Amino acid sequence: MPDRALSRAVVRFANLLRRQTLPITPRQVIDAVQSLDHLDLADRHEVYLGLRAGLVTRPEEVAIFDRAFDAFWRARTEADEVGEALAGPALPGEAPEPSLESQGARKERLELEGWGDEEEGDDGGEPLGVPVASEMEALVTRDFSTFSADQLDELLRLTVQIARRLARRVSRRRRPVRRRGRIDLRRTLRANLTRGEIIELRYRQRKRRKVRLVLLCDVSGSMDLYSRFLLQFLFALQHVFSRVETFTFSVHLTRVTDHLRQRSYRAVLRRLQELRDWSGGTRIGESLAEFNRSWSHLVDRRTIVILLSDGWDTGDPEVLATELLRIKRRAGRVIWLNPLLGNPSYQPLTRGMAAALPLVDHFAAAHNLAALRELADRLHL
Amino acid sequence: MREEIRKIQSLMESAEYVTDAPVATSVHLALTLRKPLLIEGHAGVGKTEVAKVMARMLETNLIRLQCYEGLDAAAALYEWNYQKQLLHIKLHEGGQRSVDQEEHEIFSESFLLKRPLLQAITQERSPVLLVDEVDRADEEFEAFMLEVFSDWQVTIPEIGTIKATHPPHVILTSNRVRELSDALRRRCLYLWIDYPSYDKEVTIVERKVPGINPRLAGEIARFMESLRRVRLAKVPGVAETLDWATALAALHADHLDETLVSETLGCVLKDADDIKRFRAEVGKAGLSPFLQTPS
Repeated sequence: MPDRALSRAVVRFANLLRRQTLPITPRQVIDAVQSLDHLDLADRHEVYLGLRAGLVTRPEEVAIFDRAFDAFWRARTEADEVGEALAGPALPGEAPEPSLESQGARKERLELEGWGDEEEGDDGGEPLGVPVASEMEALVTRDFSTFSADQLDELLRLTVQIARRLARRVSRRRRPVRRRGRIDLRRTLRANLTRGEIIELRYRQRKRRKVRLVLLCDVSGSMDLYSRFLLQFLFALQHVFSRVETFTFSVHLTRVTDHLRQRSYRAVLRRLQELRDWSGGTRIGESLAEFNRSWSHLVDRRTIVILLSDGWDTGDPEVLATELLRIKRRAGRVIWLNPLLGNPSYQPLTRGMAAALPLVDHFAAAHNLAALRELADRLHL
Repeated sequence: MREEIRKIQSLMESAEYVTDAPVATSVHLALTLRKPLLIEGHAGVGKTEVAKVMARMLETNLIRLQCYEGLDAAAALYEWNYQKQLLHIKLHEGGQRSVDQEEHEIFSESFLLKRPLLQAITQERSPVLLVDEVDRADEEFEAFMLEVFSDWQVTIPEIGTIKATHPPHVILTSNRVRELSDALRRRCLYLWIDYPSYDKEVTIVERKVPGINPRLAGEIARFMESLRRVRLAKVPGVAETLDWATALAALHADHLDETLVSETLGCVLKDADDIKRFRAEVGKAGLSPFLQTPS
């Protein structure tokens, strides 16, 4: 076992990383401590590589790890006393940690903590004030933007309710298979073991795989409201899919999947509002390009890509078309949702929309609950 | 640097693998802590190669489990040889043996088809088990694998429990087609392999394509480096570099020029759009921007 002080330092270091949102298990910490036995403690880079191999589990975490490592193990290394700094008993206690907490970071964390406190009850709260049928029908077909602010909460609850009901239906739905599947020799043999002849054949059906969803939501200006409803709706549907990846964009692309996974959903919606970029128009093409560059590995033929935007693109329509084509080639299906389509007089004539339309498998509105319900029927391949 | 790590590095070098400190350190820790090593990186950066080299280095067997969609326990662990069992039953049809005896006979080891995972735990000497492209397998399979990795024993109802006397060294690779579960990640050491630096790529080319003109090797590496900075749909990996270098060496080239690059472009770029864009780029400014040292 390595020196006690050193082991404790590693434990503290792991705690620091956890606070920086790296999910580290006790097992990993134990292994990290043990790995020090097999490393040259005088070689800072080697210790760095060793700890990184044990404590980091995905590339996105490397930058966080690097910053934390520098901050935590920096103390006294300037004097080239690397070995001493690492192994010496006078290890930097809590001292270096605050350095990570610049004002901004602290503020961020307070916010994060605030989210954790949010009560999640509402989503699951059962005895909802479910409106009577006629009232409900009216709610379902009304455009989201026509509701007043205090009605929106109620409507969000209704959205979840509808989605939950749909989820049950979608996951139970079975489609008839054309083939009977392959003969399952193992079970056939078992079934006929005592007969000496193969009389009864057993079949094995191909496994049905769940569909993956990638959501790209425009959160600029007026689209924000619709994005919120779509996200809420699909969030409640999510266990029907094998995976839901969510991005928001206006001028830049932001991946919000992790926020959606960890925290209370209502808080996430509020967070979306913070992410909203007021500075300018929407650059769908650029955002898609960014998606293709960094995240195209999320899309395969079992993936449905849903794009929610009104198509008011201030960027180059050429870029939009190229990037959308790139997505289309990889994806199982591309769905473009445009709430403006709910307006009977709307024509998709904006340059961006015109460029994108031929590349889209399904073009629909998502402006009210009825439209969302219809969407659910499209979410299988 | 610790002596063992240096040794691993030189062993890997002598096994024809150009390595660096992160790779050597990870391999060293995977061997000493006996933890699986998860390697991620872009296509063609030599993830699989690490396992092959490790096997060569340890002078042990490499057992490869190629993952694909729908891979299940039967294909990974074991299956009974049904055809053989059927034949056996047929051949002994007129015999006097009881059903029990018959069953005992056909469910013995000689009717067992060992698949990679079972093979890996029944070796005389700890092998290297390569679970390739684990992101292609389903999540259920991942869970199943974790179970096997946790105690290295497998129970076959008809035979009994088989426990590994020499547990394998495990290397998992992933292209990030699907995000792997946290459970799997946490049980593994993690290594991200990036595209090689210029110097490393030159060394790789010279090592793997013996007899190549040094100037050409340098130009190839420089060219690849520039190419990877352009936004491409399919970014070429080291595998492409080596294909290309081999092709150029076979053509007895000693430096890159436009015609040569144009004729052999298919080795490097494998997407029609990329090729079109590249040609347009070269048509405008020539080849030289691709061969310059980045500022």
